[in-house]
Amino acid sequence: MNSYYAATLLVYAGVDIIACLALNLQFGVSGIVNFSFIVFQAVGAYTAAVLSMPPDTANGGYQTYVGGFQLPFPIPWIGGALAGGLLAIPVGLVVLRKLRSDYQAISLLVLSVIANSVITNVRPFLNGAAGIAQVPGPFADQVNPLTPSYQLLYVGLTVPCVLLVWLVASRIVNSPFGRSLRAMREHELAATAIGKNPVQLKMTIFIVGGVIGGLSGAILVGFIAVVAPSIWLYPETIILFAAVIVGGRGNNVGAILGALLVPVGFEEATRLIPPTIGEWVPPPNLIPAMQWVAIGLLIIGFLWFRPQGVRPETRRVFEGGPE
Amino acid sequence: MDLYVAALGFGLISVSVIAIAAVGFTMQFGITNMINLAYGEVMMVSGYAAFYVNRAGVNIWVSMIAGALAGAVLSFLLNRFLYAPFQRKGTNLIGMVIVSLAASLMIANVMLAIVGYYSASYVVDQGPLVRSNGLVLTTAQIAIIVVAVILMLAIHLLLRYTRLGKAMRATAANPTLARNCGIPTQRVIDVVWLITGALCGVAGVVAGMNSENFTVSSGAGYLIEIIAAAVLGGAGQPYGAMIGALIIGMLTELSAAAIAPEYKEVVAFGILVLVMVLRPQGLLAKRGALAAAG
Repeated sequence: MNSYYAATLLVYAGVDIIACLALNLQFGVSGIVNFSFIVFQAVGAYTAAVLSMPPDTANGGYQTYVGGFQLPFPIPWIGGALAGGLLAIPVGLVVLRKLRSDYQAISLLVLSVIANSVITNVRPFLNGAAGIAQVPGPFADQVNPLTPSYQLLYVGLTVPCVLLVWLVASRIVNSPFGRSLRAMREHELAATAIGKNPVQLKMTIFIVGGVIGGLSGAILVGFIAVVAPSIWLYPETIILFAAVIVGGRGNNVGAILGALLVPVGFEEATRLIPPTIGEWVPPPNLIPAMQWVAIGLLIIGFLWFRPQGVRPETRRVFEGGPE
Repeated sequence: MDLYVAALGFGLISVSVIAIAAVGFTMQFGITNMINLAYGEVMMVSGYAAFYVNRAGVNIWVSMIAGALAGAVLSFLLNRFLYAPFQRKGTNLIGMVIVSLAASLMIANVMLAIVGYYSASYVVDQGPLVRSNGLVLTTAQIAIIVVAVILMLAIHLLLRYTRLGKAMRATAANPTLARNCGIPTQRVIDVVWLITGALCGVAGVVAGMNSENFTVSSGAGYLIEIIAAAVLGGAGQPYGAMIGALIIGMLTELSAAAIAPEYKEVVAFGILVLVMVLRPQGLLAKRGALAAAG
């Protein structure tokens, strides 16, 4: 195990934990099926990229994109988070106000597919299908990104973000606001009857989730230096849903556990599959395809056998109340 | 101007393809209360089933029957062994959407493992050109339109004038009450999945004929247009889906002529957003043959 591998694993784990905490706030705690979650991560990534990169005329202009402000850390990360939150406002206003819950889900799914196809087809905006490459990470001008010390530095930047997001998520889940969200998830009409405004609650948590999702994208793009439509296709959202469902909906520990078990653990486990089984060489597309099938099976299996996940949400009961 | 007349021709075919698909999709939703996100993938399975039959030298119109059968059987099995058990277990609407999306993911990737990433295309005898007022269509294209019209008429007659259609409408309106009246709702729902699955299968084949080629990933794009048409018409309403298909099909093709073909899906999406903001219940809400349950 060398330090590159360890750093990569840690940064990916951090990004997935942040994303799962955000999705858990929306889906697990509030019952919003955000099938376009990955779009918010992508917006954060693109924003961080164009904020930190030089103008597209540099490097011979082989890629075209808007912006190119060359701003120093931490502005790209903050910008990515803000962009995620800003996108959540119009999307939330259209989707969350009037629609039935399953309608909301399919609308967001459609948004995810369309957003990807628009960015792919409109090349001048964000370099189309090829995506934006050579995105400089934080402090890349001061520390050589190819050294182990930079890898360590990146882990050092990611971990505080994970802790911060966890802190925010715990505060939300345990606050009266979180209680209102759960009330809305369990019985929207009853929550409305006791004076909670479900649209306001949903909008708030949708924007908070968008901000956190944007941050996760910003962290990711600084590390892998590339963002392209092919890394944020809609099935990526399903992986995060699988994580939250497997880990345990509605509690942050469950979300973190899910992030470690599904996106991280899964990726690591498939590395152990031998390239040849005996004499038989599987065709190149078989193993990735089977990974996706396994994700689907994982979701369906957990929803059937253990819908509460590995670590169920604690049932919060009022001591004096009826059982 | 000729461009727009040609677009009108393409529009007619698009309308036919979307109408066949959207009526099946919306009936599944209206009668079984299930937004089946695997619909696009079932279309692709049927499309490939017909492709292999077609490649073996069989005429495309006969292959279409194979596609319809594949769609019917797969949809039936999907409901019998996946959706219905989850619904009996009392899984909520959100849970069912997630289950169907997971099913869609699995079908797409099993297919990918079998057929690969390569694009497929049918061998179609396009027949002589038919011209009228600047509108140029091939005989095969006219046949697609005729198939769509026949299927729409058949669905209309089925829902309106047969005992089975009446039983379907009763099941859609109130399953418990329907069962108490002696309607075997379980069997009705099985038949609904067979019929809508067959529609889905035919739609997969005509969609493949309408485009130069198709791949496994075409399913997601089809699904967008279908959802847009179904939601525009009022989800669960077969007649609404037909109107929705007419509007979506025409506007997407005309916009392809006016702006650029890449933005077809975006136009469909724009219509969807407008509908959701202005009239989320769709054009034909609370009227027509099937009211959306729930």
